[in-house]
Amino acid sequence: MTGRAPGRMRRMTRAEARGARAAAGFLLPFLGLFLLCFIAPIGFALYESLLKVERTGPLGLGGETKDVWAGLSNYAHALQDEHFTAGFGRVLLFGAVQIPVMIAFATALALLLEAASARWVGFFRTAFFLPYGVPGVIASILWGFLYVPGISPLVEMAHSAGWDVDFLGRSTVLWSIANIVTWQFTGYNMLVLIAQLKAVPGELYEAAKIDGASVWQIAVHIKLPLIRPALVLTTVFSLIGTLQLFAEPKVLKPLTNSIDSGYTPNLAAYNEAFTSNNQHIAAAEAVLLALVACVLSFGFLRLVGQRGKGGEDR
Amino acid sequence: MSMSDITGPRRRAVLGGAAAAAAGFALAGCGGDDDGGDEPKGRKKGEKITLTFWSWVPGIDKPVNLWNSKNPEVRVKVEKVSAVEGAQYAKMHAAIKAGNPPDLGQIEYPVVPSFLIDNGLLDLTKYGIDQHKDMFVGWQWQQSVFGKGVYAVPQASGPMGLFLRQDLFEKWGVEPPATWDEYEAAAKAIRKKGAWIETFSATNGNRFAGLAWQAGARWFGAEGDTWTVSIDDEPTRKVADYWDALVKQKLIKTIPDRQNAWYKDVQTGAMASWLGASWGDALLVGNAPKTAGKWRVVPMPQWKRGEGAYANWGGSTTAVFAKTKYPKDALDFAIWLNTDPESIKLLIENGYGTPGAKRGYATSDLDVHKDFFGGQAYSKVFDDASKGVDTSWKWGPATDTLYQRLGDAFTAAIGDGSSFRSVLKKVQRDTISDLKEKGLKAEAG
Repeated sequence: MTGRAPGRMRRMTRAEARGARAAAGFLLPFLGLFLLCFIAPIGFALYESLLKVERTGPLGLGGETKDVWAGLSNYAHALQDEHFTAGFGRVLLFGAVQIPVMIAFATALALLLEAASARWVGFFRTAFFLPYGVPGVIASILWGFLYVPGISPLVEMAHSAGWDVDFLGRSTVLWSIANIVTWQFTGYNMLVLIAQLKAVPGELYEAAKIDGASVWQIAVHIKLPLIRPALVLTTVFSLIGTLQLFAEPKVLKPLTNSIDSGYTPNLAAYNEAFTSNNQHIAAAEAVLLALVACVLSFGFLRLVGQRGKGGEDR
Repeated sequence: MSMSDITGPRRRAVLGGAAAAAAGFALAGCGGDDDGGDEPKGRKKGEKITLTFWSWVPGIDKPVNLWNSKNPEVRVKVEKVSAVEGAQYAKMHAAIKAGNPPDLGQIEYPVVPSFLIDNGLLDLTKYGIDQHKDMFVGWQWQQSVFGKGVYAVPQASGPMGLFLRQDLFEKWGVEPPATWDEYEAAAKAIRKKGAWIETFSATNGNRFAGLAWQAGARWFGAEGDTWTVSIDDEPTRKVADYWDALVKQKLIKTIPDRQNAWYKDVQTGAMASWLGASWGDALLVGNAPKTAGKWRVVPMPQWKRGEGAYANWGGSTTAVFAKTKYPKDALDFAIWLNTDPESIKLLIENGYGTPGAKRGYATSDLDVHKDFFGGQAYSKVFDDASKGVDTSWKWGPATDTLYQRLGDAFTAAIGDGSSFRSVLKKVQRDTISDLKEKGLKAEAG
């Protein structure tokens, strides 16, 4: 930034200085919080994950407790823990099924509500969005009551119809959780998609109509390609949310023998930290979870990015 | 205390919070750390203080209110904590790490050692607890003795017994089982009537430990400076095989106990008995009021007829946390709470189990819910059981993890049909590695 064109430089500097001050003013609150609430905890988690506890004194009782360097042994321990790794497999399976279903639902609802012939749009939009306002824990408690045999009217109705369902069984409970998540987040994703649909200029639809496109054709060939960025966004958010599944299995766990302490990676890290009191291993597990979330999100973005470009080339 | 003690907790407080935040939780600002590193000076004469007491025991506020009315200078404030799946201990461990634990806490016998390895509890011998020793039941006192220290004041224990619906047993012509063989026969007979005798709750490590305890298992021991672990021993295998067979024959349910579905079964008589503990009377009264008068308590079934071997499930202490500023006052309260006849009376009314105090009540005082049990002096059953509890049982330093291991392994075994013996093998191996992971020396016993 030093002096090849001093005259020009000086003018820019003055403008820039003002701009920089303003930018700094606007950025500082964000950066401060970002550092404090995001970078610092991650740094500490990384640091913690490289330590382990050493205890002295007979049987470790009443002696000194200190943290010593552990290298990557906490990571090795986490990766060797079959509960923890099984949890990853489980959330990936969950995501592979639940995310497409939810996004498809959300897209269908968004298209329906944005269709020209839609009625009572405001009411339905709010109604579909409402579950998002229910905190995950509460949603899980509510659905828990609908799942527990002996209490659930659903189980009872199915039973009287000669169908014995067990929503909390070993093979079903994951999908019962998927149901809660879908119930909660479909409306939210729908709203994101609607926002993007609203940004589509009306002329496009008019032009298409004049060209004789049917409602269905407009939806598939105009609306869907145009809301593609929103679809990518909602999918990435859902992917990250899926990897972080916690509240639903945590709340349902006491109700069933089908959810173990490492059911999802987040639950495993939580139990490691707060049941077993092993902060260091929990930190390693948290870091691993963050890494996987990072790889998957950016991997997905890259994948759709390339496909997107391919589409433009055609 | 050394200099490192001054900085140590403060650093850990920050790190603990960071790890928690990284795991996806925002802990609202970790509390300040005002420990100067010296022994607390205690209360000045006439100074008014408030002690915080974390507990989940229903009705604990009644004796506390009584204390407060008598001791205006040392107010005790009860903060209720959740006891679901060990949440209260997670909270206490986190608070110790964050440097702001309460002054007093309700801690069950099995988890006392896990607080010791974090230096979380005060050694009460420094404040003269020894002079109160003969007020407490010997073995309950011993549960909190480690080395020369005494780390908690016994509150109550939970000798086990069999709660059963006498009306249903009679209607179906089933005798209350006195041995485990008879218990299995009873399970079959009840199953034929379309009901169930019990559930084997995979996640109830506490009760499984009690069953092993009765059979003569000793899961933990100490050899020199090394913890010994023997979860996969002969007595425990006998117990595991027994329940495995009941599950495989579909003679018992496998739903979690003391949850909504279980309460419903208990209310409707779909489950005709419960292998519970002395504190269970209040639980049944509270959750199945319509079955009043139909229940009885009989001794826990025996492996050998008339052997008189019993076990303990639950029971807890009042512990003083190491960071309290007023250790003397906290101990005074803990002793009063658990030995004062008026306090014991209030605790009994709310169903806290079999008192840790030797005096201050009569066994018949414990028959609070006599009507619910058809006029039976049911506490006699538990009192007798209490005398038959083998007192050499010791808990290890990571009981919560152990219960979690047992719960996970039983969950998997019930799900995929593998044997309960494989559960013991796995949990034995995992527990040894868990203890090592905690920086302790451990080996198979």
